Amino acid sequence: MKSEKFASASRKTFLSAIIIIGAVILGLRLFQMQILNQTSYDDKTADNSIKMIELSPRRGVFFDRNLKLLVNNIPTYTLRITPADYNKKLNEILESVLKVKPGYINNVLDQNKVYSKYLPLKIKRGINFDIVAWLEENSDNLPGVDYIVDMHRGYPAGVYGSHIFGYAKEISRKQLKKEKEFYKLGDFVGYNSIEKSYEKVLRGTKGSKFVLVNSSRKKIGDYKNGADDIPAVKGKDIVLTIEAKTQRTAEREFIGKKGALVAIEPVSGEILAMVSSPQFDLKEFSYITSKDFLNILYNDPGKPLFNRATMSVKPPGSTFKIIAAVTALDLGIITTSTTFFCNGGYTYGRLFKCHGVHGNVNVIQAIEKSCNAFFYQLILKIGINKWSEYSRRFGFGSKTKIDIGQESAGLIPYSKYYEKIYGVNWPKSILLSLVIGQGEVSVTPLQLAQYTALIANNGFAVQPHLVKGYIENNTKEFVSKNYKSFNVGIDKKVFDIVRHGMYLVVHGAGTATRLRHSKYEISGKTGTAQNPHGEDHAWFVAFAPFDNPKIAVAVIVENVGFGSTYAAPIAQKVIEEYLNSLEPDESEEVKTISLLKKTKMGEAIAN
Amino acid sequence: MQIDYHINDKFDFGLLFPVIILFCFGLAAIFSATFNNALADSNFQKQLIWGFVALIVFFITYSLPTKSFKQLAIPTFLISILLLIAVIIIGKKVSGARSWLAFGALGFQPSEFAKIGTLLMLSRFLSMNNTNINSFRDLLMALGIGFLPVVLILMEPDMGTAIVFLAMIITLIFWKGTSVFALFVVLSPGFVAFSSLFGTYYFLAALFLILVILFLFKENIFFSGSIFALNLASGFFADYVYGALKPHQQQRIQAFIDPMSDPLGSGYNTIQAKAAIGSGGFFGKGFLEGHQTQLQFIPEQWTDFVYSVIGEEFGFIGTIIMLGLFTFLFLRILKLASQSKNEFLSLTSIGILSIFFTHFIINIGMVLGIIPIIGLPLPFVSYGGSSLLVNMIMLGILANIYRTRKNYS
Repeated sequence: MKSEKFASASRKTFLSAIIIIGAVILGLRLFQMQILNQTSYDDKTADNSIKMIELSPRRGVFFDRNLKLLVNNIPTYTLRITPADYNKKLNEILESVLKVKPGYINNVLDQNKVYSKYLPLKIKRGINFDIVAWLEENSDNLPGVDYIVDMHRGYPAGVYGSHIFGYAKEISRKQLKKEKEFYKLGDFVGYNSIEKSYEKVLRGTKGSKFVLVNSSRKKIGDYKNGADDIPAVKGKDIVLTIEAKTQRTAEREFIGKKGALVAIEPVSGEILAMVSSPQFDLKEFSYITSKDFLNILYNDPGKPLFNRATMSVKPPGSTFKIIAAVTALDLGIITTSTTFFCNGGYTYGRLFKCHGVHGNVNVIQAIEKSCNAFFYQLILKIGINKWSEYSRRFGFGSKTKIDIGQESAGLIPYSKYYEKIYGVNWPKSILLSLVIGQGEVSVTPLQLAQYTALIANNGFAVQPHLVKGYIENNTKEFVSKNYKSFNVGIDKKVFDIVRHGMYLVVHGAGTATRLRHSKYEISGKTGTAQNPHGEDHAWFVAFAPFDNPKIAVAVIVENVGFGSTYAAPIAQKVIEEYLNSLEPDESEEVKTISLLKKTKMGEAIAN
Repeated sequence: MQIDYHINDKFDFGLLFPVIILFCFGLAAIFSATFNNALADSNFQKQLIWGFVALIVFFITYSLPTKSFKQLAIPTFLISILLLIAVIIIGKKVSGARSWLAFGALGFQPSEFAKIGTLLMLSRFLSMNNTNINSFRDLLMALGIGFLPVVLILMEPDMGTAIVFLAMIITLIFWKGTSVFALFVVLSPGFVAFSSLFGTYYFLAALFLILVILFLFKENIFFSGSIFALNLASGFFADYVYGALKPHQQQRIQAFIDPMSDPLGSGYNTIQAKAAIGSGGFFGKGFLEGHQTQLQFIPEQWTDFVYSVIGEEFGFIGTIIMLGLFTFLFLRILKLASQSKNEFLSLTSIGILSIFFTHFIINIGMVLGIIPIIGLPLPFVSYGGSSLLVNMIMLGILANIYRTRKNYS
């Protein structure tokens, strides 16, 4: 070793020795572990394995605005078999207990042969409690057979809420790859609407439990008596802005119809009811969704999965005339004494028709009678850009930022929009369709409801939302969620004038006089959206009571024709249901919430 | 038979065959470990594709002109250093260390690439005509070249790879012909410090060993005495440093010495891996039949702990065959290194040997619980494209050196 020269033979010998000694040490260690001590290690894997069991938290539930339970969790039992420990002799007896055809278990086992036999297979879901009791009793004679409790969503209030609640399902592999920090295979995750946008609030925090298991992976005890266990923390319960009875009424009114409804409390932006029809039953999603059911949903020409209330964009029809009235009044272009003449239409290049001969009308009468001729002449004085700026102030042309994501912005054209299509000298006659809510202008039912609420509330509004707040797990205290508010910056007098017009739509010689017999003073505006592909769509926007509006509604019924005939009665029912619910219950509601704050009653409700 | 002679003369099947068998062992283990894992069940296919890519790269490296390695030494070293600096600044953080550079979906570890760069550079420096490794100046120069990447890698921080580099630097200097006594003087305090962590008895045993070796060297008594004193001091210093460490750092060292002290934390993997291997017995439990593997007791078992899958499912037979294949490969490389009379190529071969061997001994030692948990993959076996690729390039360099060994002798 003393020879200090490059790559000497002694150095080679030294390195060979290191390699061989290293390999021999590892080899001896392997011999010791795998041959000499094999049994003791086997015991270790078998008898003394510490196994971590993940504890899944319970998902938060949903309450309506009066703390009525809308969405809860229902336990279901699933029978499982771990093939490695299972004896096929048990097939017969199990099949008779489960009341399934002979050969059922073999069939499931064969189908899942590719998976490890050490992992439990779900054999039958939704087994009833008698079977669970039988399994418990006979567990010693049923090696490799066990059951687990899965939670799935229930809807105890009889409210569909198809497009409000959304659904939670087992996480897909694709999503799992993106979010593997929290989820694992088999976990539930919110897929759309509230279940999705409030996923982080609802899902809670996972816990873990350490147990000692034996060779057949049966639990033989807690590790350190559970000293290291971390309990799961259940998700927060959510209080929605929805009023259950109102929502149910709205849903019932839409059975057999296509369309949407949004009802908002003007002062707070809270959505009291929201329907998109065709509706579907979320129960079908809560558990295992059958392929047939999905096929029906996907192939239905009415597109039930599409949330019409926030995503469908349609021309608003005459409901939009109020924008022009507000703009002109606010800019001082007209006053209540300004009149335009209606002789059954207005000639601008060609004759643009009105649906009657109204003579000299002022702005209030124009709204009352929905006089086209008045607005044709008015828009030519306003010009497209002012009109479009005011439309945007009311939230049209952009998303309302409702707290469930999926939403369309609609379209409010500027002059540039037409310059691009037709050049600088685009035909100004286009304005005449825009002002009566036809042509390129398009809005969502949600935007139209927000606009009605703004009119009812003198131009002040809060971003529309479905979630009022959460209930804290520990204190059971209600914590309200804050939303942005905004003001359109228009004088109250202007709103007084247009509201007067809307009052007369119902109570004067207007287009929705059928609602005048309602117990409450409803004001509104009808609209008909021209549909080049078929029957027109019926619109109705309304608010009530007149003096102190508590509810603003926008309704669209698709492909039926005139607004007042089809859409107005639905609005009326919903308004009446909600205002009825306020009258006797108002004091009680306050009581419930304050009770919830003080006592632990929330616990009882949550369970 | 003439054709056979030619092939054997130009291509060393003894290098490639064991590697291909090891790779297949790895594939089987990766398949088994990811079998029930929805997040990783594509790893088998990915590794297979990487295998083909790496084989092509192997043959490209094999057919390059041999002199090009020396020419590439300086540029690859400079690129390595730049990449190592880049990764500290813009690298992607994976489990606490900033060691990955990401290019879209692909990522790679500059420290892998730097293995080749540093190896070629150091070999080039040491093989220069006027380099005298026993002169203080040249030794310092060699250490300077080697330590630059080590410091950068420690900044990521990647302890395991830094150890691989250190082992390579020491091996190259040793192979070049430095005085063994000098090497001993430098290395022994580290050994004593490490032993002292295990307790007083280990510390005393290590000191005794040092004493015996000093005696064998027969240096003058005063010099030997000061070296012994230095060793003694390093043991106490290690104890002092341990005391100054933060609790979680102490815990990690403690978990190595006694895994049972923290069975749910850092000791968990060791306990489970040892249980998996031990329970495999002589014949193993059979492919896809290992409890520990199939129930996924060890997280990401297809990477650093892949050997425990072999141990559980293929038993002692499997683990010993792999051990044999590795040993055969190492001795083959050593033979090649001593055959080559060209200093640069010989040093390069021995450097590659040290890289493979360090990975091998640390990885398997860790899985068997005789070395602390240092995250290093098992060459050609563990899942991972970037390390497979670099290992196959190094194997290609060896095959290349074999091809032209007669031209350079």
